[in-house]
Amino acid sequence: MAQTETVTTEASVAATKPDFIHRALRHRAFMIGLVLTGTMIFLALLSLFWTPHSPTEIVISQKLKPPSMSHWFGTDQFGRDILSMIMAGAQTSIVVGLIAVSLGAVIGVSLGLWAAARRGWTEDAIMRVSDLNMAFPVILIAILLTAGWGPGITNAILALGIYNISVFARQVRGAAIGMWEREFVLAARAAGKGDVAITFGHVLPNIISVIVVQATISFAIAILAEAALSYLGVGSQPPDPSWGRMLAESQKYIFFKPVIAVWPGLAIVLSVLGLNLIGDGLRDLVDPRLARRR
Amino acid sequence: MALLSVEDLTVELQTSRGMAAAVRGVSFELERGGTLGIVGESGCGKSITALSLLGLLPDGARATGRIELDGTDLLSLDEAALCRIRGNRIAMIFQEPMTSLNPVHRIGRQIVEPLRLHRGLRGAGAQEEVLRLLDRVGLPDPARRINAYPHQLSGGQRQRVMIAIALSCAPDILLADEPTTALDVTIQGQILGLINELVEDSGMGLILISHDLGVIGETVDKVAVMYGGAVVEQGDTDNLFNNLAHPYSQGLFAAVPRPGAARPDRLQTIRGTVPELTDLPPACTFADRCAMATDICWRQVPKMAAIGPRGTVHQTACHHVEGVG
Repeated sequence: MAQTETVTTEASVAATKPDFIHRALRHRAFMIGLVLTGTMIFLALLSLFWTPHSPTEIVISQKLKPPSMSHWFGTDQFGRDILSMIMAGAQTSIVVGLIAVSLGAVIGVSLGLWAAARRGWTEDAIMRVSDLNMAFPVILIAILLTAGWGPGITNAILALGIYNISVFARQVRGAAIGMWEREFVLAARAAGKGDVAITFGHVLPNIISVIVVQATISFAIAILAEAALSYLGVGSQPPDPSWGRMLAESQKYIFFKPVIAVWPGLAIVLSVLGLNLIGDGLRDLVDPRLARRR
Repeated sequence: MALLSVEDLTVELQTSRGMAAAVRGVSFELERGGTLGIVGESGCGKSITALSLLGLLPDGARATGRIELDGTDLLSLDEAALCRIRGNRIAMIFQEPMTSLNPVHRIGRQIVEPLRLHRGLRGAGAQEEVLRLLDRVGLPDPARRINAYPHQLSGGQRQRVMIAIALSCAPDILLADEPTTALDVTIQGQILGLINELVEDSGMGLILISHDLGVIGETVDKVAVMYGGAVVEQGDTDNLFNNLAHPYSQGLFAAVPRPGAARPDRLQTIRGTVPELTDLPPACTFADRCAMATDICWRQVPKMAAIGPRGTVHQTACHHVEGVG
């Protein structure tokens, strides 16, 4: 034990940032996730300046064309270029995911940390409200908001954000309570640190990997949920491009032109897969305890 | 006046079967520069006693009695005032150096924190102080180690870092809760030696908690033996070790294995097991395991009374020791 301890000491004292990049490059799943997600972000950014065709231009004479040189992914029932729509749809997915996850993470993490630090009735109140929120599926929240303010992307984002608050609050509270029981927190208290200092100095840094992993997974879920909401007609509205609505519209043609359903489906699957792989990879990479073993 | 005086300290903990007294009427004093050992089995209330000095009892615990540090009753202080005492006037080191350092921060940062919090040191001044402390506790190559994470150090090195953190604000009292239990024997000796040296140099008081009689015997001037939440015997180390009075202390010392003893007898034990806190006998907590117990041990709490030769401090709480009752 003492032997191996010394060996790792010598080997990893120099553990710094370049080392992190080196380990990331060797983590295959993480790199695949990075490439997939990178492609999605690249397509979304590119679509801001350039798409092969306009994603909203309707050319009835070109409808339901198979993939060709001018339309790589073919065209849909209105003759719109599918590749352009996928590229522009990536924007929607990213915006929805980013805002919904940030909203949920910022509020949820704060509430979770607060509940864990205070315990007692503060914790009970936060967690019961959170339970109540979780009892409503995200689709139901979205439909409720739609009933109140009409369908639209903003309500979809809000619904996902509200749902994510509970997801993050729960995860963070659980992880933070575990941290509060650790001996180094007792040691920090014995050194005279207050609750706030311990929360931000000791608890949060130790659960950051939990939050990062949850964020990437929630991002993936948000993309799926946005697709589902748009599919149901309560998400983004035409003519804004959306993968979910493309899927809904292609449904009618599934038996004689199945290829139009494949493109948005593939886009959703690959981006969700990419984010999940990044999440898992990050969990391995950011944790100094796990890092040592890689 | 004593630096620290604990008087009739009782701590009740919340258990699934209601409140249970984990510490019962414990009293002791610590002079400036004095060293006190608290010895006893697991669950006898040693650690709870230590934590109550810092006001770090678990949720729902209730402490009564008096804990006076230089005349201030710590039990009456609010959380903010306690935070100014913790780590500053009373510092603590823990049993598990593996888990008492935060795994995600470099050790330099962890030593700087109390310096910043209690002494207002920052920047280069703080850095210099960290190097001085690490050097003082004998960590090799401190300039490089400052940037190491806890998992990159060995157990003994981590405990040295913990001691550096505890020393950082020159506390009046160092509480050491089983500081060497998790270390192997050679490192144990080094760490005890270091603690002894630091106590001598700085003139701080030491409260050393251990179940290891050897560690206690080598390190402290005074000893308190605890059983079932109560102090059953206390006195000057030499006197107490040579004239054990309480049946529990006698049993505890008889149970120490002596390698190389003339006849390898069976290891002595104390019959029975430590009862649950909620099941402790009502009067003398040792009554159900004691060979000498009689009726009175179940009815009346024995009082601490002086024994031993004149001029020495040695007290015990037992109905069956002559001159005590």
